[in-house]
Amino acid sequence: MKLSQITFSKLAVRDILELYGKSLDNEDFIVEKDNPSQRVLTPNGEEIHIEEWGGIRKGSEAFIKNDTFSLIELAKKLE
Amino acid sequence: MTILENLKKVFEGKFRDVLSHNNITIFNFSRNTSETVEVKEGNKLVIDLSKATEEEKKLVRNILDSRVQSENEAFLMDHSSEKTLKIKQNLPYGESEELLKFYKDKLKPEMYKALEASIIVKNAFEREEDISEMKRDISEKYPTFGNNLCNLVTRGYFNEHFRELHQSMLEDEEFDINVYQRKVEKIVKSLPYTVFITRYKSYDELSGEIRFKLDRLKKYGTGKLLLHGLGRENVNTTMTIIEEYKEDEHINIQIEINPKKTIITATLNF
Repeated sequence: MKLSQITFSKLAVRDILELYGKSLDNEDFIVEKDNPSQRVLTPNGEEIHIEEWGGIRKGSEAFIKNDTFSLIELAKKLE
Repeated sequence: MTILENLKKVFEGKFRDVLSHNNITIFNFSRNTSETVEVKEGNKLVIDLSKATEEEKKLVRNILDSRVQSENEAFLMDHSSEKTLKIKQNLPYGESEELLKFYKDKLKPEMYKALEASIIVKNAFEREEDISEMKRDISEKYPTFGNNLCNLVTRGYFNEHFRELHQSMLEDEEFDINVYQRKVEKIVKSLPYTVFITRYKSYDELSGEIRFKLDRLKKYGTGKLLLHGLGRENVNTTMTIIEEYKEDEHINIQIEINPKKTIITATLNF
């Protein structure tokens, strides 16, 4: 796995979510835009608050968190 | 085809002035002041999706899907990308990797994960990098022991003390890994009110440190102080220090000591 040369800033978080058909519920958790009662989960089964979102990696819809522990798992997979 | 070439195809017509920049190496989605695509800081192409058409968004999504799924790239927020790189540069290696391996089957999984993260923090600290966010993450994930464990790793206690503790307990006839795990957990959780009895400090230094901590803890109402020692010499020192408080009617002392008298935890309740 590699880190992409393409990144997004905090200002564009909602634009990127929209690109992936996602939005936020009233508690600011990431949800499916066409099914707002369904919160998006990380590969570990955790719901993701917008402040915790780190990005996307390979997987059917692999949304990952931005905390040290999630990024350690990612860093260990980098070439 | 490069990312730049792909993006040029998507935003055909909006790239005219950008074409003169041949040194673009960074691609970032953000919010621009006027154009959909702008070059900033000389080499950064900034794309504002809120200004893009639906067709352009679809094509961008295709590019991202291709990078993430086919090229196996992680598409991250800029801050997360920098944080991941920092973590990668500080992953346990050499001695710290060996240290982590030693504890792999000895600590509870959550404590092992906190140890791994704390070693990364220690490595980053030694490279004089900012560790505040990683330390905060460890404390938030493991509020009862994360911060203490991180401090103990930085101070080298996992290199020596907890290894020696394992060795000493292993020498006992009825060694039980669960007892070791509980012992480590107890010491880590009680770090703010623990004094490690070590041969590297004189008796007077240790006695003074304990008296100082006791006075402070009495003032702030914690109610107990743990003295933890490994090895016969430190067990004896601990016992001598405890003698100083035997006559104090405000202090109740509980002593845990192993049969070989090589491990002691004395709790002073007040």
